[in-house]
Order: sequence, then structure tokens, then C-alpha cells
Amino acid sequence: MNKISGRSFNRRKIFGLTVIAAAALTVAACGSPATSSKAAVATAPTVIGISLPLTGDFSQPGTQAQRGYEVWRDMVNANGGLLGHPVELKITDDASNQDTAVADYTRLITQDKVDLLLGTFSSLLNFPASAVAEKNGMLYVEPAGGAPTMFTRGFKYLFFAQPAVASAQADVFVNWIKSLPVDTRPKSAAYATQDDPFTRPVIESMQSQLEALGIKTLYSKVYPAETSNFQTVASAIAAKKPDIIAQGAVFEDGVSLVRSLRQVGYSPKALFQTSAPGNGSQYSTGVGAANTEGVFYTVSWNEKANTPLNKEFVAAYAQKYNNEVPAEDAADAFAAAQILQKAVESVGSIDQTKLADWLHANTVETILGPLSWDATGAPQSSFILAQWQSGSVEIVAPSAAATTTTVVYPKPAWK
Amino acid sequence: MEHLVQSLILGLLIGGVYALMASGLTLVFGVMRIINVAHGALLIASAMITWYIWRATGIDPFLIAILMTFLMFGVGWLLYRTVISRIGAASVSMSVLLTFGLALTIEGLLNVFAGNKFRSATPSYFDQSFRLGGLIFPKTQVYGATVALVMLAALYFILSKTWTGRAIRATSQNPTSAALIGVSATGVAALAFAIGTATAGVGGSILSVLYPFFPASHYDWISRLLGIVVLGGMGSLPGAFVAALLLGLAETLTATYISLQWATLVFYMTILVVLLVRPQGLFGSQLREDVAA
Repeated sequence: MNKISGRSFNRRKIFGLTVIAAAALTVAACGSPATSSKAAVATAPTVIGISLPLTGDFSQPGTQAQRGYEVWRDMVNANGGLLGHPVELKITDDASNQDTAVADYTRLITQDKVDLLLGTFSSLLNFPASAVAEKNGMLYVEPAGGAPTMFTRGFKYLFFAQPAVASAQADVFVNWIKSLPVDTRPKSAAYATQDDPFTRPVIESMQSQLEALGIKTLYSKVYPAETSNFQTVASAIAAKKPDIIAQGAVFEDGVSLVRSLRQVGYSPKALFQTSAPGNGSQYSTGVGAANTEGVFYTVSWNEKANTPLNKEFVAAYAQKYNNEVPAEDAADAFAAAQILQKAVESVGSIDQTKLADWLHANTVETILGPLSWDATGAPQSSFILAQWQSGSVEIVAPSAAATTTTVVYPKPAWK
Repeated sequence: MEHLVQSLILGLLIGGVYALMASGLTLVFGVMRIINVAHGALLIASAMITWYIWRATGIDPFLIAILMTFLMFGVGWLLYRTVISRIGAASVSMSVLLTFGLALTIEGLLNVFAGNKFRSATPSYFDQSFRLGGLIFPKTQVYGATVALVMLAALYFILSKTWTGRAIRATSQNPTSAALIGVSATGVAALAFAIGTATAGVGGSILSVLYPFFPASHYDWISRLLGIVVLGGMGSLPGAFVAALLLGLAETLTATYISLQWATLVFYMTILVVLLVRPQGLFGSQLREDVAA
């Protein structure tokens, strides 16, 4: 495995060098740029250093993050750059490996002397990488890394570019339940979650919040990642007849539980799953389109969200990447870059300490909605509550982002 | 009580499918001393092909299993002739390295051609169940286990009643003597590998309906299947069958009565305990190892 990725890495490096050499020759051939009036002052580019998992376990989301950053770069440069300087991204591949991510950021800071940084993908990689940035006094806005441990270290330069940390992700669902008249509220709940740093805190915090509302817990289990048979879980849950079923599902476990619930013939009044239902057609074909009706999930972003610049982002992404809809990971990366941009433009320089101070004191409008942070860099907003309705995804809360006022509740029986 | 019966039923249905998936792995080891780490990847490849055929034609995936038997038989034979035979009687560790490389290649090809996406076949009855009183028999599990048992019965018939099967078993028990009475070692090995791959073909078709999968899913499956083969005794078909049923039961019973978190752990703990008492596994024989060495 190492051999293979090592080889492709070298090949990419050679390819990269060739491209740079070719670019240098082209620039040299063109002579001094007298064409653009805006960039008439031959401004040096502002270089932003990024390491991303472009190969390995996180290659899929890592590639999406890269696309998000690049769409942002193109949009900024089309509008005259950052403080008048064109933006250049220096992206390296860390192969989803912690040591490589640390080495990458160290090199970007100390050798390449990049002007600014943007974060990598996942708590696993951001955890050590953010420590490198902190040690070097560099602002570090990261798009994906909401594990609670990220924010217990008292870092000053770290900012998480999503609406909330994992433990606060379910708040929007709890608030929706609170908004129901007391007599129609669900009375009981069953919880099952994969033993995963992204899903477990969501479900655990939801359970304690719902218990505080007086909703009885009838079932609460954690299952390991390799669990593939869910009929026993489904039949145990069905025997308890809970009003709510909440699952911390990564993907296949979410699909399998819905299928198993369907097989045992139990349909709760409300079904909540963490990230599985956010996978669009992969989810709806997996569980059967009719079975998606009424399923809730929380997410940091949706392509329909009515937030400033969101439409432009979705359009630019579609244009650049043959009409695809951006993944959430691309949107989170775009938002991270937006935050960096706003801070730089407001401060008027790239003084890292001033940038961090400014972000601690202000709220930034992003495509995810307005974001602000506490002293540790943990965001203080809320996720979006989405629901499958008639075969597509609608945002039902918070009201500012909602695409519909209809909420399917109680969930209809399986068809 | 009903809980217990329900768990037992589900455990046996799941175990039956595991048994088929593990049968090819143990057969290949028995005959060639090759630990085929690519077995899981072949399983996923077959699931992927089944999914595409189902998607394009709407033919029931359990019927596609018949086609996959022959297709994967051919793939297995070809793989043996072109790749696996090169290591010949080299060490077991060589076979692990080679087949791991093969597994990575298959995963890579699936990634390139099918994309890094989750898939699962959903025939019309995928979310329905047979009911008997309060007991639930998910249709997909019932059909899956039935297909698996039919395939295992066919395998048993081939191995015990046909000349080819006897040649395979003879080679597995004593390669030198088998060669002396005119059994072609390479021919038998190629056949055994092809049959082993054919079981992965059927197993893959069943998997495509029962479990969502993506190219890298094979890691989960190969570790589970190797566990079954080790518990049953390396190279023993009846052993793999019993061990697979045990795993299925361990999974559902632990999940029902102890905790989900323990379900997989209990299985591996069972392996540990069994191996302490019977290092050769449930049905394995030590003699065979000595002969092979």
C-alpha cells in the first residue's frame, strides 16, 4: 500500500514540478504583465498553504475539500484577489497520514514561508496539524474536525468552520421537539450509535437533552464499526415500541437499520440518523426511495440553503466540475476560506495575531450561515435540521435557513 | 423465549451465508496451502458485477448468482493459471503477500471503474419478511441462506462423489501420493482455486442484496472469513460450516443478551479459547500439517 501510494505521490510531484516549470516559462515568455489594469502593480501572490488527504482513507472528502478551496480561489481572484494580491493555493497530499500532515504544515510554514494557512480534513489530521500552526503562531481555520477534544487545548489560532461541534449537533433536533405542543411530543426514544468520534457525541448529547425533556429512554446501545447485521437491533427496538429512533449512523449502518426496521415491520413516529441520510441518492436507493419519507438528519450545509453567496458557490462548482452538486465537505472548505478572507479584509493585513483576535470578536457570514467562536475556537451556531420529503431533502430548521414550513411528523408507516 | 428463538433463527440464517463465503477460502487453503487474502475482494467484485447486472436488467440478484458461479469460476481459473501458480509450493507467507497485492489491485480497479460509492441491490422484496406467529424471517436472509446451502450441498456433492472432487481431496490430504497415482497437481490446484472463486461469486451475489458495500468493504469480510476458517480448522469444509454458524449465533445472541459492542469481540474470544484447547481448530487435523511440511 505504501509502495503504491508512495509511487503515485512521486509521480504527482514530478508532474507538479513540470507544471510549475511550464508555468514559469510561460510567464517569462509573456514578459511583464501590462495587460490587466487591476493587477498593473505587479503584485506578488498571497500564498495559502494547505495539506489535504488526497489519497488514502479520506481521499473522497479530501478531494471535495480541495474543490471547495479551489472554487473559492477562482471566485476571489475573479474579484481582484485578497487585498489586491492574487491568491495562490499550495496544496500538498498527506495521504490521510498524521505524520505526513504534520510534516507538510511544518514545511509549508518554515520552508515555503506561506502567507496564510487553511486546515485539512478530519479531526484525526487536524488535531496534530493545528498544533503545528499554534506553535508557529499561524491562524488555522479548519473545515472538518469537530471532535470535542480539538477544543480542550486552549488554542488561540484555531477556528472550526462548521456551525457547531459534534456534541452540539443534535441541538437543532431537540429544539424542534421543544417547539411541538406538549401533548403531541414523542414520549419515548431508542438510541443506537456506531462507536465513532463523529456520531457518538451527537447521540449521547441528544439522549441526555431529551431525557431532560421527560422523554423516556427505552433502549440505548453502542455498536462497533464492523457491525453488519441489524435485524437483532431492529427487533429489540421494535419490542420496546419507542416514539423516536435516533441512530448515530455513518452510512451502511444507517441503511441497514432502516432495512431491518422495515423487515421487522416497526415504524417510529420520528426517525433521526446522523450523517447517513445526507448521502443523497446513495441513501435513497439503499433504503428504497419510499422509505426515506420523514427521515431527519443534521448537516452543516445544504445546496438549497438560502445563505449569502451559496447560490454562486453551487453554480461555480457545477460549472467547474461537470455539473455536479458540491458535497458538504466542499462547502465546509469553501466556508473556511470565506472566514479567512473576511478576517484578512477586515484587519487589512495578514498579521496572524490580529486575524485571530478579530475572529474571536466577530461574526462571519458564510454559506453555512453566520459563524462565531468561543475562546477555544469552537463554533457557537447550530446545524441545519434536514428531512427527506417526497424523495428529496428539505431544510426544516432553523427557520432562517428553512426551505419549507412543512415538517413530516409523525412519520408515515412504511409503504 | 420468543426473543431467544428469533435470535437463533437470525443467527443461523446469517451463519449459513457466512459458511458459503468461507467455504472457498478453506478449500483453497486445504488443497494448496494458499491463504487467499483476495477472497474478500473477489466477493466484493462479484457483488459489484451482480449489482450492475441487476441494475441494467432487473433480473433477481439471486438468479444472477448462477451466472456469477460460472463467471467467477472462469476468473478463478485464469487467475490461478496466470498469477497464483507462479508461487507454486512456495511458503504460505508468499501466498499472503501475493493475494494481498491481488486484493489491492481488485479494490483499485473497482474504485476506478465503479467509483468510491456505497451500493446495494434492492429487489422488490428486500424489505419484506415472512412471518410465523411473532417470529420474523426477512425474505432476503431466507433466500440468501437457501442459495448458500444449495451451493454448499453442490460443493459437497462435487467433492465427495465425483472423480475430480476425490482428486481435489486426495491432493489436499496427501499431494505426493495423489501425484503418484496420476493426479495432476497443477490441474487440481487450478480447479480448486476456480471452485473457491466460484463460491465467492455466489457469495458476492448474496452479499449485494444483504449488505451495502463499497470497494474497500473487503477488509471487513476477509477478517471475518479468516476467523471462521481458523476456528473451523484450516482447510476443513465441515469445520468452516460449523464455525460460520457459531459466528452467526454468537453475533445475534451477544447482541440480544449482552451488548452490541461485544458481538464481534465474543466471536474472536471464542477463537482464542478454542485455539488454546485445540490449536488445530475445531475440525482441523495436525497430521495434515505434518504431511504438508
